[in-house]
Amino acid sequence: MATVKVEAKNLQKSFGMLDVLQGIDLEVTEGEVVCMIGPSGSGKSTFLRCLNRLEEPTGGQVIVDGFDIMDKKSDINKIRENIGMVFQQFNLFPHLSVTENIMMAPVDRKKMDKAAAAQKAQQLLKKVGLSDKADAYPAQLSGGQQQRVAIARALAMEPDIMLFDEPTSALDPEMVGEVLAVMQQLAKDGMTMIVVTHEMGFAREVSDRVVFMDGGVVVEVGTPEEIFGHPREQRTIDFLNKVL
Amino acid sequence: MKFFEIVGSAMPSLLQGLLKTLEITAVSLVFATMIGLLLCMMQLSNSKVLGVIARIYVDCMRGLPVMVLSFFIYFGVAQALSIRISSDVASVMTLALNAGAYLSEIFRGGIQAVNIGQMEAARSLGLPYGRAMRKVILPQAIRIVIPSMVNQFIITLKDTSILSIIGMVELTQSGKLIIARNFKSFEIWLTVGVIYIVVITILSRVSRMIERRMAVGNR
Ligand SMILES: Nc1ncnc2c1ncn2[C@@H]1O[C@H](COP(=O)(O)OP(=O)(O)O)[C@@H](O)[C@H]1O
Ligand SMILES: [Mg+2]
Repeated sequence: MATVKVEAKNLQKSFGMLDVLQGIDLEVTEGEVVCMIGPSGSGKSTFLRCLNRLEEPTGGQVIVDGFDIMDKKSDINKIRENIGMVFQQFNLFPHLSVTENIMMAPVDRKKMDKAAAAQKAQQLLKKVGLSDKADAYPAQLSGGQQQRVAIARALAMEPDIMLFDEPTSALDPEMVGEVLAVMQQLAKDGMTMIVVTHEMGFAREVSDRVVFMDGGVVVEVGTPEEIFGHPREQRTIDFLNKVL
Repeated sequence: MKFFEIVGSAMPSLLQGLLKTLEITAVSLVFATMIGLLLCMMQLSNSKVLGVIARIYVDCMRGLPVMVLSFFIYFGVAQALSIRISSDVASVMTLALNAGAYLSEIFRGGIQAVNIGQMEAARSLGLPYGRAMRKVILPQAIRIVIPSMVNQFIITLKDTSILSIIGMVELTQSGKLIIARNFKSFEIWLTVGVIYIVVITILSRVSRMIERRMAVGNR
């Protein structure tokens, strides 16, 4: 039995009167890649953001690495060190160079010394294919390059889990591939990943399981083969007909 | 020839006054910056009470003419507490309280102008709120805020002239005193005006240099 890395139990989130998540249950085990698909506004981002408590859940439980993230005794900052996040808008720090972006958290949190952190940044940049951009500033990079730096920055904390919220949606089409390639490699290396995406090709090819969300609930979960090959729910079928 | 004689003989007193103006401005701004930061933190804090207090304070300072505030402190507070407050102390208090309110609004605006995604990215890496502020938000906010901050500094420098009313011998008051002796209004006020313009222009140039230096690499 593989270890459960992330578990949502009856997870609920409302913004005022709006019930965005209406009881989500999901377990993600070590090394698993789960892609979340669904129409815009269905609550995918909110779900992901509840997992590292960028949003406060209003009901249910989230357990990351055995820690209940809402528990007063858990240190959310410590938990976040182990659960990296990549955003649609990259959110690189514009006042820091690429290397400084990557080094910042390890130096600040893990008290890594600067030389070691810089070396680590260089390794990570190599991994995402940007060795030559170490001294560039975010504004000097293309969207695809920025997103690869953002992935490297998240990896610098050596998380066990990575969350991706539509990492390629803000990119020009010709840059989508380079980012997906990095993510695919990461999956191959055994990273536990939860990926919100509209890239159905990626979901089909890379994920172990696909979750289809609509209207704040999980409508259907299955292997890519099941979801894309023989979807059971009418809502899934309708959605796939629209996007494929 | 006459003109330069008049200006020349007035110059030592005027420069003395200018020095006082700069001193009072500098000290006031140090306190104003601290007050501004404190008020800004109060407004951004989770505490509703602190936020309301800060907002009321800012509204009061906005609504109050500097001259009235200086009278209130120099005469009013002094009388109520039966103490003598020197015009220097009253001046610094007046300007610091006033500029502190405006600076807090400038700081708050700067922090809020930084994209919310920056805070989220920093927090998602495990940085606590304070560290995220310190390492990610403030460095960006400072760049945004510098022009308005310098603008406020200049306003405060000019406001020192109002404090001649409570007897502080700064640049404007020095001019007044000289004219009381020599009756040369035109020459002296022209000179006083030019001194203000020159000093403030130098200040703006320096600030623009700092701005440009800081902008390197950003955006
Ligand atoms: N901070 C917020 N305040 C109010 N409503 C929000 C907030 N964030 C998201 N929502 C709403 O929650 C719903 C789900 O949003 P989201 O999770 O972003 O969906 P998705 O990522 O699937 O497109 C939407 O109706 C959105 O308007
Ligand atoms: Mg979304």
